[in-house]
Amino acid sequence: MKPNPAAEQVFFNDPAIDRLMGLTMALATEVYVLRDRLRALENSLVQQGTMDAKSLQSEISPEELALHQADRDAFVAHLLSPLLGQESSLGMKP
Amino acid sequence: MSQMDGRSFSAAQDFLLGAKKFWTTQMYPLLRQQDQALATTGAGTVQTRMQKSNLYPFYAWMERHLQRMKYAGRYGLAPWHDTQREELEQQLSVVLIDTVAGFEMPPYYRSFDVHQHPGGLMGDSLAGFVYERGARSTTPLDKHFDLHHRFTNLIGQWMQPQRILDLGCGFGKSTRPFAQTFAQAQLTATDLSMPCLKLARYLDSKEHISHVKYLQADACASGLPGASHDLVTSTMLLHELPLAHLRELFVQAYNLLAPGGWTVHLDFLPQVQPGADEFTQFIHAGHSVRNNEPYMQSLAAFDLTSHLQGLGFSDISIEPFAENDLALQADYPFWRFPWTVVKARKPLSTTRQQT
Repeated sequence: MKPNPAAEQVFFNDPAIDRLMGLTMALATEVYVLRDRLRALENSLVQQGTMDAKSLQSEISPEELALHQADRDAFVAHLLSPLLGQESSLGMKP
Repeated sequence: MSQMDGRSFSAAQDFLLGAKKFWTTQMYPLLRQQDQALATTGAGTVQTRMQKSNLYPFYAWMERHLQRMKYAGRYGLAPWHDTQREELEQQLSVVLIDTVAGFEMPPYYRSFDVHQHPGGLMGDSLAGFVYERGARSTTPLDKHFDLHHRFTNLIGQWMQPQRILDLGCGFGKSTRPFAQTFAQAQLTATDLSMPCLKLARYLDSKEHISHVKYLQADACASGLPGASHDLVTSTMLLHELPLAHLRELFVQAYNLLAPGGWTVHLDFLPQVQPGADEFTQFIHAGHSVRNNEPYMQSLAAFDLTSHLQGLGFSDISIEPFAENDLALQADYPFWRFPWTVVKARKPLSTTRQQT
């Protein structure tokens, strides 16, 4: 990091939005990098006959969905629980 | 997979290019539509209208930060090339470029990071590689290299120069089309950046071009002999010069040209574009700030015609330039650079004393 970097330009009335945009776009870039990597892996597995392309593209079976339901629920809770505005540990009362 | 590799670099850069395309083809047209609708109601200046826009902050943020991420983000051009430092430096290690006598680096050149390129074009031995890779994706809709051939083809419509000087040549992106279009001409190309000049020579060798003389020199004080060229040209240089340097560049151009020679420059002027209005100029001024190109605005405000007339040039024209076949339609919907050709001739018989 540069010593005493200058303040970045601000475009929103609340500078917090500028910073959240940066965070969101950084994550979106990572998601796209992973999507690309996954596509390459899938293509390779299909070409090698390790994976069936049709089964990969068809709807997920109820059994498989059920198998991963707990993981899905944990993912959703982790993502959305901050929206509830509740503290996770006992804090000091104001 | 924790380290950046070639695949993750190219995927991330492709994502950023896709985002830039969305910005170019979706955000910009919508912003313009919204502004035109507000303008018809007499809702203040474009500045006040943009202050009320919900879209403009996102538009401006994307313009600023897509460029930041492209150059300096985790998958940016600068960190990517740094992973290959040894190999890339080796490629340029045998390239030798002369520096003109008395050369001095102008202080403005290192006072900010142009294009948000970390360290600018002189900050690192790999700066030329970083710039070259970045230039491949400057605009998502056009093959950015095509416009250079359009430019040289345009010049070829009225002259066949034999002695060409390409000022601010960078890594030779503008120079090689001159070398190819006017293959018999003597061609000299100058730039401030030694990393770019070395890459220019290296890339020339890849394309079997050997007759370009590259020199490290200031376009405003080249040290080259007077009356020695019949074409003095530049591409995307004028908007990178402070006003005093811009004025001096044309003084130099006049002196460097033989009588009857032409000075021809491809650059950006929003006001001469078809359908230009205050929105066009506002967007251009904003781009100047957001892309770290402060002298775009002083160029746009400068009276080039009067300056050229005052120096003794004739046949002066300042005309919009089409980087693609549709670009100069007044209702062209997408964001674009306001490409412009500035052209003037040194008279065959000159009464003005050489300065």
